[in-house]
Amino acid sequence: MQQSSKRLTVVAIGLSIIMFTSAIAPAQTGKVSSNMATVLLPSTSPLISIRLLFNTGAASDPKGKEGVAALTAAMISDGGTQRMTYAQIVEAMFPMATRFNSQVDKEMTAFYGTTHADNLNKYYDLIKDMVLNPGWREDDFNRLREDAINYLKVNLRHNNDEELGKEALYNEIYEGHPYGHNNAGTVESLQKLTLEDLKKFYRDNYTMANLVVGLAGGYPKGFEEKLKADFAARLAAGSPSQVKLSSPAKIEGLQMTVIDKDAPGTAISLGFPIEITRAHPDWPALLVVQSYFGQHRSSNSYLYQRLRQIRGLNYGDYAYIEYFPRGMFQFHPDPNIARRHQIFQIWIRPVEPKNGLFSLRAAMYELDKLVRNGMSKEDFEATREFLTKFVNLLTKDQDSQLGYALDSRYYGIPAFTDYVRERLSKLTLDDVNRAIKTYLQARDVQAVVVTTDGEAFKKAALSGEPSPISYTSPPGAAILEEDKLIERFKLNFNPKQVRVVPVESVFQS
Amino acid sequence: MKIIVATLLLIGLLMPLTVSGQNKIFPYKYSMDDLPNGLRVVTIPTDYPNIVALYIVVNTGSRNEIEAGRSGFAHLFEHLMFRGTERYPAERYSNLLKRAGADTNAYTSDDRTVYHIVFSKEDLEQMLMLEADRFQNLKVPEEDFKTETRAVLGEYNKNASNPISKLYETLRDTAFDKHTYEHTTMGFLRDVENMPTMYDYSLEFFRRYYRPEYTTIVVTGDVKHEQVLPLVKKYWGTWTRGTYAPKIPAEPEQTAERKAHVDWPSPTLPWVAVAYKSPAFSTENKDKVSLDLIGSLGFSPTSDLYQKLVIREQKVDVLFYDSDDHIDPYLVVAAARVKDPKDIEYVRNEILKTFDSFKNTKVSKEKLEAVKSNIKYSFALSLDNSEAIAANVAPYIALTRTPDSINKLFDLYTAVTPEEIQQMAGKYLTDKRRTIVTLAHKERSQDAAK
Repeated sequence: MQQSSKRLTVVAIGLSIIMFTSAIAPAQTGKVSSNMATVLLPSTSPLISIRLLFNTGAASDPKGKEGVAALTAAMISDGGTQRMTYAQIVEAMFPMATRFNSQVDKEMTAFYGTTHADNLNKYYDLIKDMVLNPGWREDDFNRLREDAINYLKVNLRHNNDEELGKEALYNEIYEGHPYGHNNAGTVESLQKLTLEDLKKFYRDNYTMANLVVGLAGGYPKGFEEKLKADFAARLAAGSPSQVKLSSPAKIEGLQMTVIDKDAPGTAISLGFPIEITRAHPDWPALLVVQSYFGQHRSSNSYLYQRLRQIRGLNYGDYAYIEYFPRGMFQFHPDPNIARRHQIFQIWIRPVEPKNGLFSLRAAMYELDKLVRNGMSKEDFEATREFLTKFVNLLTKDQDSQLGYALDSRYYGIPAFTDYVRERLSKLTLDDVNRAIKTYLQARDVQAVVVTTDGEAFKKAALSGEPSPISYTSPPGAAILEEDKLIERFKLNFNPKQVRVVPVESVFQS
Repeated sequence: MKIIVATLLLIGLLMPLTVSGQNKIFPYKYSMDDLPNGLRVVTIPTDYPNIVALYIVVNTGSRNEIEAGRSGFAHLFEHLMFRGTERYPAERYSNLLKRAGADTNAYTSDDRTVYHIVFSKEDLEQMLMLEADRFQNLKVPEEDFKTETRAVLGEYNKNASNPISKLYETLRDTAFDKHTYEHTTMGFLRDVENMPTMYDYSLEFFRRYYRPEYTTIVVTGDVKHEQVLPLVKKYWGTWTRGTYAPKIPAEPEQTAERKAHVDWPSPTLPWVAVAYKSPAFSTENKDKVSLDLIGSLGFSPTSDLYQKLVIREQKVDVLFYDSDDHIDPYLVVAAARVKDPKDIEYVRNEILKTFDSFKNTKVSKEKLEAVKSNIKYSFALSLDNSEAIAANVAPYIALTRTPDSINKLFDLYTAVTPEEIQQMAGKYLTDKRRTIVTLAHKERSQDAAK
């Protein structure tokens, strides 16, 4: 998609008679001058996408100041500038129907927005000022800090059991590691943060050395140079602020944290670290495995078929090899959450509490089977064919193309879709099954279970007693036979690492 | 799959608009044909390469669930449609899609059920064939039916952990007495729980509504109508027209303000929702579009109320307005999430004052134009890929069966004057058309009950 140089034209009716190409030229990566890295996807589209990526994030939060990276970014995208209040910025953006967003992950802070070419100058003047001259107002700070605290205390703890489980899983796996706290921070650290902490973080991390600028669409000649000059004049040169990352603590046996809360269903997330990112030669092989086993929101994947389709346990069951936040709201992952460390993860959407333990066993049983048996030739071929076309969808719009191009730069790989398609074409079943044996296992796994009556769940889990599934409409005999294996499937619990915590303690400190 | 509320809001707020009367805000040329059996085909070629989006819009939704005890069936049916046919059982269907790298799903709302699939252009014929097969030959054994009803209950439970779902459920149940808009698309919990016993009814539902005269096929992307039409004739031409036309009960005129409160079992921030009965979608009169514009003027981030409650006083952290278009008269809703339960009454009164202000004073022309510009560029920015174009067209297909209504609608927006805004506010934003629902954590509910 990105590499095609074929120019297609479309005649639109009326005002929008614009000849534009959707076939975007190959991404140009480079430096405008000595200090600004760029990723450029020029085209003649009337829409212009801008992504300003700083290679810093929550992993750079100093100890005790968790949340400072996210709150600093929020002050820029959702706060005033020295010249304008936030209300004035919102009012100025309103007729353009656009905004300027931020997204903070462990190692990336992205600011991004898209504007119609009619409004580019006005839009750019606003966002330039937002990034380079933040207002640091007390009232913005109080509002955004309260938003962050409410995100942890209300949204995660009480309004979204699935995201709660998924986010808590990362905290458990990375305890004591720079990745070990939620990107938003902790309730206690947020309460202690000051504006001075944010200003210091901004000075240290918002530097030319950390900045990569992404531009896509029909931006005019000279725009890139103007942007460069504006940013270089204002930001410190700095040096790259990549945090040193040690390996996360070793998981021993099946570790489980049960989050106790009054919940209508039981949500389960489990996983373990994998030392594989997009930069690794085995990543495409593992991508095939993940897609076959649990392609996000796809009814074709193996786990979904076994748990949801055949047994009606819940709404869906998926697997991941990269961080994918907000999965209940979107079908495709957001770009610019690239990380040096990733986990393999299984997400079991809420099941009826009486089937909670059965579902945990079913997930472990299927993972164990995957590790022991690998994939068949037929499944491998089908999944590869799927992914070869599916990757096109990930970059179907301009802003996604730009985001993926920035991530490819980060990982040091060619344009994402071309890279994946090219690697998939050379992949063999042996490569994939070797990757399963090398990187996946079902022994040392961290689980997080969000459920009502957590103590009872823990007791039942540790008892080793069978946990039969309860059906409204029983499936065929073969499945009932398999259920007998699953209900007794031995979970290799590490009793020292099985605990029940009240929901109010999660993300607290 | 149920459309999440946020999406409904976007549909309500991001209405496209044209500023200059002669220029069309929906700029794409399209071709439209009707088959003798009543099936309609719309092709919209775009400039985005390789990818084709196929949206099949069925003009049935929870609005069609007219019999007592049968709420939620349109949505259940959306699930059943993935259960396969004799020729292509679920697993085979699923394998073919997997091979094709197709991204497929569906959603149900009040007025429509939409099946959508995005794929590479070389798979056009296969996709039209597969979809034609399941629309004409769906076969769901009773056991599979029961299993799927449990998945739907799972979806209900998943949604039930979000206060917004319950807020809307209560709002609709309170505001409507006769019309099927009284229940959400998920349906009443008691009906969802009872679904496993309703196998025969599900067959009847399919016979009634999965018919060509209820269905429109929309194809967008790297494709031409000359390719699409012969394939649709080949695979869909023999589908038999149905005979059923539902009698949707009319909602009697509301005669007094209504109120309800939801006790939420776990700690959460309280919600206040203020709704008014609103007119049906129209491309002819300005009533509904005026209420849409009032929403943007009164409750969007640039509004006085948003600036006051969210930014300055910081008493509210979410404020939204929902004016989703419907076939029949429905609701416009302004809702706020309140940070401190003590402020529930205050926030409710501020919302009421805002609605009243449109009756008492004329909005400035300048503000009205800013709102129109916002709507124009929102639409322009939303058409950034083939799937988005099809997704934007689908609601209008359900409402009018033609994309033409988009440009007609935006001509209407353009023509609305400050005087008309005031006139429509006086007509619709009256006490007796109003329903107010609050939601709060049980222990704090006394603050809301005042």
